[in-house]
Amino acid sequence: MSRRVPADGQRDLLDWLYELGKQRAERVPEFDVERTISRAYAARDAGAVNFWTVLNPAERSAFESAARKQAFAPGTALMREGEHADAVMVILDGWAKVCLDEDGRERVITERGPGDLIGESGTVPGNVRSATMIALDTVQALVMRTEDYTALIADFPGVPDLVKKQTYDRRTGRP
Amino acid sequence: MPQAPYGDAESLFRAAHNELMRVAYALLGNHADTEDAAQDSFFKLVTAWHRVGGLPTPGDQRAYLIRIVINEALHILRYPHRRWERLGVDAADREARWEPLDEQVQARADLRLLWKAISELPGMRRDVVALRAAGYEYGEIAASLGVSVSTVRSHISNARKQLSRTVARDWEGAQG
Repeated sequence: MSRRVPADGQRDLLDWLYELGKQRAERVPEFDVERTISRAYAARDAGAVNFWTVLNPAERSAFESAARKQAFAPGTALMREGEHADAVMVILDGWAKVCLDEDGRERVITERGPGDLIGESGTVPGNVRSATMIALDTVQALVMRTEDYTALIADFPGVPDLVKKQTYDRRTGRP
Repeated sequence: MPQAPYGDAESLFRAAHNELMRVAYALLGNHADTEDAAQDSFFKLVTAWHRVGGLPTPGDQRAYLIRIVINEALHILRYPHRRWERLGVDAADREARWEPLDEQVQARADLRLLWKAISELPGMRRDVVALRAAGYEYGEIAASLGVSVSTVRSHISNARKQLSRTVARDWEGAQG
């Protein structure tokens, strides 16, 4: 079966796609719906809001002065699944993959890059990391203690209610 | 972990799961991308639940969810492959693929302009065409999206003309 797109005019493109789709539909592998659902929740816990860009300059400098800068070499962990969550981070530069250990196999569920706030689920007292994050290239991050972060964003009008609400939802045990 | 208020979203997702996977896999052709589309679709469903939950019938809710999955699959098809795969860190999934990776990459590059053109079709026409590309018969498309077979037929006929024009123009542009 040729995977090449037919030359223009030889065949209708949509018919070609239909035939390819039909062949694939006959051999759909098994997918685990429960796993998909828990991955989706874990990916959301890893932070889905581009935090840095919603802050105004004054808020950014307040955040910077309460945080310290840290560099992570490619392949090193920013945080590990199951560890006590005592810090939040904002990635300033570089990318990290977010993964879960599924029966000993690494499963990448999403990735995080510049501006992303990560580890924010640690704002629930006694919480543990829901996923592992590994630097894909050199990651520059601002690292802040969770207590400092919680105190700080309460005063930030620039932090959207969405982020505050996520914090609230996690505190109250809502998904 | 079904927890209010997302328990209903989870139930809908579970009930529609087989069809969602059929659509996503038929469009994407590999395991890892299909799982990503599923994961992101569930996320979108939860985010949009205040709207979806209010739709009048279970069929409407299911059609909405199918359209979410189509959207996620088209997004993956339109844009360059994900970063961690380019960096070769997702090796565990490769063994699950049934098409050789280099062929997939080549096919995907060839087809990106076509998927872009399909993505840019107006609303319902785009989703009708996407289900056709997923190997659906006209009657199945009509049932899944809650429209009539004649609507499906007319969308496909118009899309054929539109796509051949757009793609011919873009390919010329890309080569010239």
